[in-house]
Amino acid sequence: MTHGPVIYDPTTLPVDDNVNAYTFCVDLDGSQWFLQKGKMIAFYGAIEFNGIGHGPLDNLVRSSFHSPLHASDWVVAQGKGKMLLADRAFDVNSFDLDEGNLTIRSGNLLAFQPSLRLKQSIVPGFVTLIGTGKFVAASNGEVVFMEPPIRVDPQALVGWADCPSPCHHYDHGYLRGFLGGVRGLTGLGGTSGEEHQFEFVGAGTVLLQSSEALLDERATGAVPRQDGVPGQAR
Amino acid sequence: MAFRELNSKMVEATITPGQRLFSQRGAMLAYRGEVSFTPSIQGGQGGLGSMIGRRVAGEATPLMTVEGSGTVLFGHGGHHIQVINLAGDTLYVEADRLLAFDGSLRQGTMFMGSQGGVMGIVRGQVSGQGLFTTTLEGHGAVAVMAHGGVIEVPITPQRPVHVDPQAYVAHHGDVRNKLSTAIGWRDMVGRGSGEAFQLELSGSGTVFVQASEEKL
Repeated sequence: MTHGPVIYDPTTLPVDDNVNAYTFCVDLDGSQWFLQKGKMIAFYGAIEFNGIGHGPLDNLVRSSFHSPLHASDWVVAQGKGKMLLADRAFDVNSFDLDEGNLTIRSGNLLAFQPSLRLKQSIVPGFVTLIGTGKFVAASNGEVVFMEPPIRVDPQALVGWADCPSPCHHYDHGYLRGFLGGVRGLTGLGGTSGEEHQFEFVGAGTVLLQSSEALLDERATGAVPRQDGVPGQAR
Repeated sequence: MAFRELNSKMVEATITPGQRLFSQRGAMLAYRGEVSFTPSIQGGQGGLGSMIGRRVAGEATPLMTVEGSGTVLFGHGGHHIQVINLAGDTLYVEADRLLAFDGSLRQGTMFMGSQGGVMGIVRGQVSGQGLFTTTLEGHGAVAVMAHGGVIEVPITPQRPVHVDPQAYVAHHGDVRNKLSTAIGWRDMVGRGSGEAFQLELSGSGTVFVQASEEKL
């Protein structure tokens, strides 16, 4: 190729921006960020990571973290320095909200600024971010933005903003009529796998990821049992 | 009708009434408009004979018919997608790599032994294609999945192309296809280079190669 690898140091790392498609660099300057456990891959400087529930953070957690179900998955990073975030070689992107709202699959959200408030969505498995600030999300392949009305395969949905009415849509027209009856009774011909979608109407934006394969969520609390990682019992 | 590539892992197709599309079941990501997805009992085109042929050949990948009017987004499993436009020639591809293709393309099954006899069968075993492979012929677009990105290597009569059987995705054109072996005494004692088998493609056409040795 035309050039070799780029070598970064604390001064050349980007400020709150992508290093490459799979890594995001957060610049902490006495500020705080919420991040999901295990998504930090490296950092420069003096950064402290405290689990939610750590005494001095109570105030912060009270004002911007309203999701007790997910509390054990999140930590607060504070201090001075630069940290790199990545997730399973997924594409990583940052998004800015300006007095806005966005609902996202909880596993896809990597980090957010405390100026945003995190709330559990009414839709199970999703969380909603409200306010002004930046957040970082991972997706399998680039995120594609679509405008409603649209119907989306459940696994391809990353999140949505401003859409007031996410609902289920069922579609099995081919099971009607005589041939459809035979099909339904015998199972002959199988199903298309597309009988169920999420439907979005109204004004807003829907975020899609290119893949239907959701990688398994991995436990990120303890040291993972993995070859080459010291300090674990086999 | 063509596929529009939204990014490396997603394509968009516009469906108009009277036109249909075949796609792998479960590969629809999203759609807009009135579009119906019907599982195809026959697993593709042709009559009952073709269906039985595909079943016997193990090339009966679950397909569905996409009809109606609107736009549909396709993608599957985070695999990279390569759109191949056919202009009257034949594409040879494994059925499970097919993401979606134009309903106007003629679908068929080819016995590997019909290209090179016994060596053709051996070739199918080594490249993981098995005894049979799927052919698509006519004018239209095909979206093919691959693990990792795809590169397109032209084949000209003066320049045959050697491809790792595991990295082979598909080829089209007037291409002869044979397995070349470079097995020496080193392979016999387990000190081989790991590159003992290669597909040699000669003639004129194009071969698609994925940047990975992992099969789908």
